[in-house]
Amino acid sequence: MPRFLTLIRFEMVKVLARKKAFLFLLALNVVPLLASIVALLIYLKLKGWGLGGFEFSVLVEMVRGLFIAHMVVFAWISPFFLALVIGDSVSGEAGRGSLKILLLTPVERWQVVVAKAVAVLVFLMLAVALGGFFLQLDLWVARAMTESPAMRWDVKTASTALVETTAALQLFVLSFLSHLALVGFFLVFAQFSESPIMMAFISLIVLMTMQVYVLMAPHLAHLDPRFGQVADWCFTRHLSKLSSIETVQGILDQRLSLWHPDVWQPLRDGLGWAAFFFAVAILLFRRRPILN
Amino acid sequence: MTRSEGSTAPLAGGALPSASRAGVPSPAIVVRDLRKRFGRREALAGLQFSVPEGAVAGFLGPNGAGKTTTLRLLLGLAPADAGEMEILGVGMPAHRTAVLEQVGALVEKPSFLDHFSGFDNLWWFGSLNRPVTRERVMEVLARTGLAEAAGQAFGTYSTGMKQRLGVAYAILHRPRLLILDEPTNGMDPQGRVQMRDLLREIHAAEGATIFLSSHLLDEVQRLCDYVVIVDHGRTVREGYVADILQRGRETWEVRVADGQAERAAALLPSLPGVLACRPGPRGFEISLEPGRSGLVNQALIGAGLTVTALIPKEASLEETFLALTDNGGDPA
Repeated sequence: MPRFLTLIRFEMVKVLARKKAFLFLLALNVVPLLASIVALLIYLKLKGWGLGGFEFSVLVEMVRGLFIAHMVVFAWISPFFLALVIGDSVSGEAGRGSLKILLLTPVERWQVVVAKAVAVLVFLMLAVALGGFFLQLDLWVARAMTESPAMRWDVKTASTALVETTAALQLFVLSFLSHLALVGFFLVFAQFSESPIMMAFISLIVLMTMQVYVLMAPHLAHLDPRFGQVADWCFTRHLSKLSSIETVQGILDQRLSLWHPDVWQPLRDGLGWAAFFFAVAILLFRRRPILN
Repeated sequence: MTRSEGSTAPLAGGALPSASRAGVPSPAIVVRDLRKRFGRREALAGLQFSVPEGAVAGFLGPNGAGKTTTLRLLLGLAPADAGEMEILGVGMPAHRTAVLEQVGALVEKPSFLDHFSGFDNLWWFGSLNRPVTRERVMEVLARTGLAEAAGQAFGTYSTGMKQRLGVAYAILHRPRLLILDEPTNGMDPQGRVQMRDLLREIHAAEGATIFLSSHLLDEVQRLCDYVVIVDHGRTVREGYVADILQRGRETWEVRVADGQAERAAALLPSLPGVLACRPGPRGFEISLEPGRSGLVNQALIGAGLTVTALIPKEASLEETFLALTDNGGDPA
């Protein structure tokens, strides 16, 4: 077990050492963070100059909107990040030969697959949580400044919590679980290639083709219901449902929870796909000859 | 998958009931009927050999003979099509992790992480076996002459430095068995001597068995006491170097007085005990049955020739190697 934990730590260090990871972190967070800072500054300045400005509750609404956008955009760009990083971490290491050194240490092959998946998922979750945390921090700062005696004005009572704790936790868990299937999907593709670019290219084409079909299926289903049935087997359908604005908004407003059938069913199917992809990836990796 | 999966022999003992012979150290590596195909090409065609524990063994063969493939299969990097392998008394690849805990290995070029320093590479990869200390990492870096480059990124190392780091990694955990694929590849002559000394030192101090493939036959001869020679995926010869070299023939250089070369050339091949005669740089090189040099000298003098010198040439592994492998011109 300590060996497995060391392996996971090692994989995390490797993910963090990649420029791609920082670019992703930046790309994901820069827009919501800048927009929220601007909103906060305008709010505080207007208040500070005694111009009245907009209400605290308006700021809450704006930041909340940014939060929803952050979650949806995250689900939109994460496949590109995963394809590149998993391509690098499995296909790239096989091509460059460092996978050979890893497999000359007494770690089990399945542990290598799982450690790589855990490392990339932890990074992904930290990246999305960073944005969420920053947006919440924005509201805390606004609230604290508004309440300070120096700013002398009446505070409209409004919730300072961007997201209720339970809703935040549920969104976090939902993001994590829905990304498992994607990670598994890319891990399977990474078994067939020693070139990270080729692996990312082919797997993204397959993923996009699947998603295009899912989007077309409702129209095609008018012609023949079987088109719709095939779309039910595309795992991207479950993932888009889980990361849709309706789902995120629903959980934020506490109309939905993980146990609501609209969330639970696609989640269950997504987890089924994740289990399938991981099993295939581990099976393939156990038999993979390391020739470089 | 190999047939060795059922093996449950203990790793610590190292004793192999099936392969132990009286008076002979128990084997550190046993390979039986190992087969591997890559598409149509048969890389290994029933390879067998064993390496006694405590030996420094050389693994020789021409290009494409199957050396690196054998090492890959032995270390569980690729599956064999058929055959049995045992390392330190237990079956591979069934007990892969237990074996790898006790084996230090370098297969082909060492390809650590380019953007990590030499130290970080050793520390991280080494920690995956068992915890290592900073001191131990620095110690092996110093022993392989890399102490000054410890903080430098692996990607900036020269070929020789990369090779040294590969060896440093292999010896990090004081393994019972070292498997090294061309460990001095890309090193300068000084580096080669240092590496040879290092391996000797490790063998003497820690009693590790060393199994190394090399294309430098004189290096193998200087370092190894045991050799396995393979060609076309089969073992053509294995045994202690002393046994292999003594068997068969001696080589001598014969020099005669000026103007007598033609007569000597005519006479030498017909003398009893002379197996081969070829012109050398300053006379003739003859292969003899052991112990016949005095008789040859007498016969030449008896025929009226003036023998100016009769020089024994050290038996070399190269000759044995060339005789045993048919693509002898290129022993790499």
